[in-house]
Amino acid sequence: MSNIAGKAYAMNVVTPIKWYRAWINRLIFWAGGLPFFSSHLKGLTTLSLIHYARWALVSPRQFPRLDESQPKETIKYTYMFFFSNFNGSWNQYVDSFHMAIPAGLDLFWHKNIKYPNSIPLQPFHSYINHNQIWTNHYYNAYPLATSNDIKAAIAVKKKLKKFIELNNFDSPELFQKEYNKLLNDVQEHLNLMEPTPIVSLSAEAVEKRRTADHHRFRNRAASSS
Amino acid sequence: MTVSLELHDIQGNVVKGYGRQHFSFARYILFAIHDERAGRKFIRNILPLITTATPWKTCDNDSGGVPKPEATTNIAFTYHGLKCLGLPESSLHSFPTDFSDGMRARRDILGDHGKSAPENWDPVWNHPDKKVAILVSINGQSTVAIENRYKEIQKILEGVKSGMEQLCGHRGESGAEDLPYQEASAIFNEQGDPTPKEHFGYTDGISNPFFKGTGKNPNLVIGSGKPSRDNPEGWAPIEPGEFLLGYRDESQETPKAPTPPLLAKNGTFMVYRKLHQNVNSFDTYLSNQSTKHPEFNEEEIAAKFAGRWRNGAPITRFPTEEEADNFVKSVKETKKALDNAKDAIELEEAELLYSVLLSQYSAFNYDEDLDGSRCPVGAHIRRCNPRGSLEYGTKAYATPGALTNRRRLLRRGLPYGDSSDRSRDDGNHGIIFMTLGASISRQFEFVQQQWINYGNDFKAANEKDPLLGNHGVDKLGRGNGKMLFQKNKGSDESPYFCSHIPRFVDMHGGEYFFLPSITALHFIGRGTVDGT
Repeated sequence: MSNIAGKAYAMNVVTPIKWYRAWINRLIFWAGGLPFFSSHLKGLTTLSLIHYARWALVSPRQFPRLDESQPKETIKYTYMFFFSNFNGSWNQYVDSFHMAIPAGLDLFWHKNIKYPNSIPLQPFHSYINHNQIWTNHYYNAYPLATSNDIKAAIAVKKKLKKFIELNNFDSPELFQKEYNKLLNDVQEHLNLMEPTPIVSLSAEAVEKRRTADHHRFRNRAASSS
Repeated sequence: MTVSLELHDIQGNVVKGYGRQHFSFARYILFAIHDERAGRKFIRNILPLITTATPWKTCDNDSGGVPKPEATTNIAFTYHGLKCLGLPESSLHSFPTDFSDGMRARRDILGDHGKSAPENWDPVWNHPDKKVAILVSINGQSTVAIENRYKEIQKILEGVKSGMEQLCGHRGESGAEDLPYQEASAIFNEQGDPTPKEHFGYTDGISNPFFKGTGKNPNLVIGSGKPSRDNPEGWAPIEPGEFLLGYRDESQETPKAPTPPLLAKNGTFMVYRKLHQNVNSFDTYLSNQSTKHPEFNEEEIAAKFAGRWRNGAPITRFPTEEEADNFVKSVKETKKALDNAKDAIELEEAELLYSVLLSQYSAFNYDEDLDGSRCPVGAHIRRCNPRGSLEYGTKAYATPGALTNRRRLLRRGLPYGDSSDRSRDDGNHGIIFMTLGASISRQFEFVQQQWINYGNDFKAANEKDPLLGNHGVDKLGRGNGKMLFQKNKGSDESPYFCSHIPRFVDMHGGEYFFLPSITALHFIGRGTVDGT
C-alpha cells in the first residue's frame, strides 16, 4: 500500500458529480482538447514534474458488473476518475499545483460534489486526500527517471543521432567545433540520474523493509538451490 | 491590503535581522529541563529580558518605539521542551510532525549523512539522558553587552537550582569539545570593522523575504517580495502568514497551527543548524579547477557556484568581474559621500543614489537569463530562491512565483570561529544558520531536500547545490558533486563542466524549535495553556 514507485507518485482520485451536471464537464474536457483552449492548459505542461494526467467521467451504467453473482448496485452519481503520475509526493507538491494552476483545477473538478475550490489550500488538500484511492500495486520500469529525465533523454538521443549522421568531420578541429555545438545544444539535458531522495520517512521505511525481504528471499533461494 | 503585525507580541528576531543592525556578536545557549516547575519559573523570570519586534527609536525619528538595546534575548523550545513544561497532550498533538519528530529523526530527508550524521554532531546534541529543551539566543552590539546579558541569564538559572541545566558540549577553538555555549560573530576586517562576509569569502545575508507589516522601506520589495504580474514594479510583498502563525498566508488562509490559537498566534518555527565550512577543500577546489580548466578563474567559478560574486553583486545582473567590482566600488563611494555630506541637498542626493544602488543587490530576476548563461541554473541563490524562474518563461502559472512563494526562507544567524588558517578543513569555522517560517517541512525541508540536495525542479536530475549539497565520494575518495555552467544557447560554445566537487559544508548539530509569542510565553510560564 504505497503510492510511490521510484521517483513517481501515483494519484487516483474518484469524485462524485450529479449526472446532469457531468455533461458540462464533458464539454469542458472536449473543449480542453481543442487547439484554442489547450493553450490555456500551458500551466499543466509547464509543471514538468507531471508524467501525465487524465480525467475521465464514468456514468452509472458504465460501471462493470464482473459476474452475475455480483449484486446489482444502484449508482446515483456519475463519477470523475482522475489519474496522474508525477514526481515527488502529493504532500510535497500540493502547494505548487494549487498555486500554479488554481483555475485549471477548479475547471476540472467543476461542480463535483463538495469540491471546495483549489484556493485556499487546506480544504482542497483534504478533499483530494478524502477521495484518493490508495495504490495497491505500482510498477515503475525506470525508477531513477523523472518525467524531465525522460524528455531529456529523448532530446539527447535525437540530437546525438543527427550529430552522428552529420559525419562530415574532415579535421579534428571541425569535429571539436561541431561537438561543442552539440554540447551547447543539449546543455540543459546533460544530467546524472541517481536514486530518488526519500519521499517521506514512512515511504523510506517501507522501501527498507522491501529491500530486506528481497535479500532474504534471494538468500533463501540461493541456499536451497 | 495593509496588514498590521502585533509587533509588541512577536519576538524580535522574527522581524529584525540583528546582524544587519550592528549586532555583530551572538551567543546561543541550550538548556535541559529536569523539573517542570523550575522550567516554568525560568521562563517567567527571563520574560522581561525577551526582545520584541517593537520598532527601535532612530536618532532622526522620535515618533515612537523603544530605545535600541545593547543586547537582545530570544527564547525558543523543542518539542521535548514543551513536553517537559507540561503542555497538555491536546496541544502537543496539534503541533506538526516535522517539529515533533525533530531534526535528528528527519536526517534522511535533510541528507545529514556521513560526517554530518547526528552521531558526529557537537556533543551537546548527544547527551543520552539530557535532551535539548530550550534555546536562548543573545545578540549584542559588543562582547561586553553579550557577557552582561549572559550573566543576568546565569542568575535566573541559579534561581531554579537543579531544576534546569545549561548543557555543555559545543565544540570550539583548538579542539575544545565541552563549551557551555555557542559563540558566533561577524568576521572582522583588518581595520577591526565587522564585515558581512562568511568563511568562503562571500558577502552573505543579502536578500531576505519582504513580507507585509514589517514597516520596512517599501522600495525593498523589488527583488525581496514575491514576483508579481499585477504590480508595475513586478514584485509584491509576501503575506505574513508565510513567516508568522495566525496571519493570512500565500494560500489565502491562516496557516495550520497548534492549538489553542493563542499559543500559536505571533509565533513561528525556527530551524537551527551549525554548518561547518571546509575552507581548505573550497580554496583547493577553486584553484585546481581553474588551473586544469582555465576558461574560468577562481573568482569566476566562485561566482558561478553562488550566483553572486564574492563581493555580493548578482552575476545575472553583473556578468563580468569588472562590472561587479565597479558596482561595489560605486556603492562604497556613495556611502562615503553619504557619510560626508555637507548639507541637506548633498545628503538627499547621496541617499537617493545609495538606496538605488543598494536595491540592485536584490532587484533582479532570471527572465533575461533563462538559459543560465550568466547565472547557472544550478547556482546556489538560483536554487534557494528561484525568483519566478521555475515558470521557464511561459507565463503559464497563475502567478510567476507559484512554485516559490511558499518556499521562502527568512534567514538569520552569524558566522562562528576563525578561518585565517586556510590549510585545513577541521578548524572551528562555519555559520550558525537559522531560518524561520510557518512550516518547517514546506519551507526549510523542501528547499534543503528538493532544491539543495536534488535538482528535478530545475530539470537538473540529481545535481546538487555546489556549495551546500551533501556531495558523496567516488571509489577513489574524490568528491562526486557535479555542476554545469551553461553558455549562450545557440552559440557554438560548449558548456563548462565542474566535476568531483567535494562536500564543502558539514552539519555539526541542530534542532527544530518553536518560537512563541510573548503572550504564549506568559501562558507557558504560568502553566495555563488549555485547549479545552
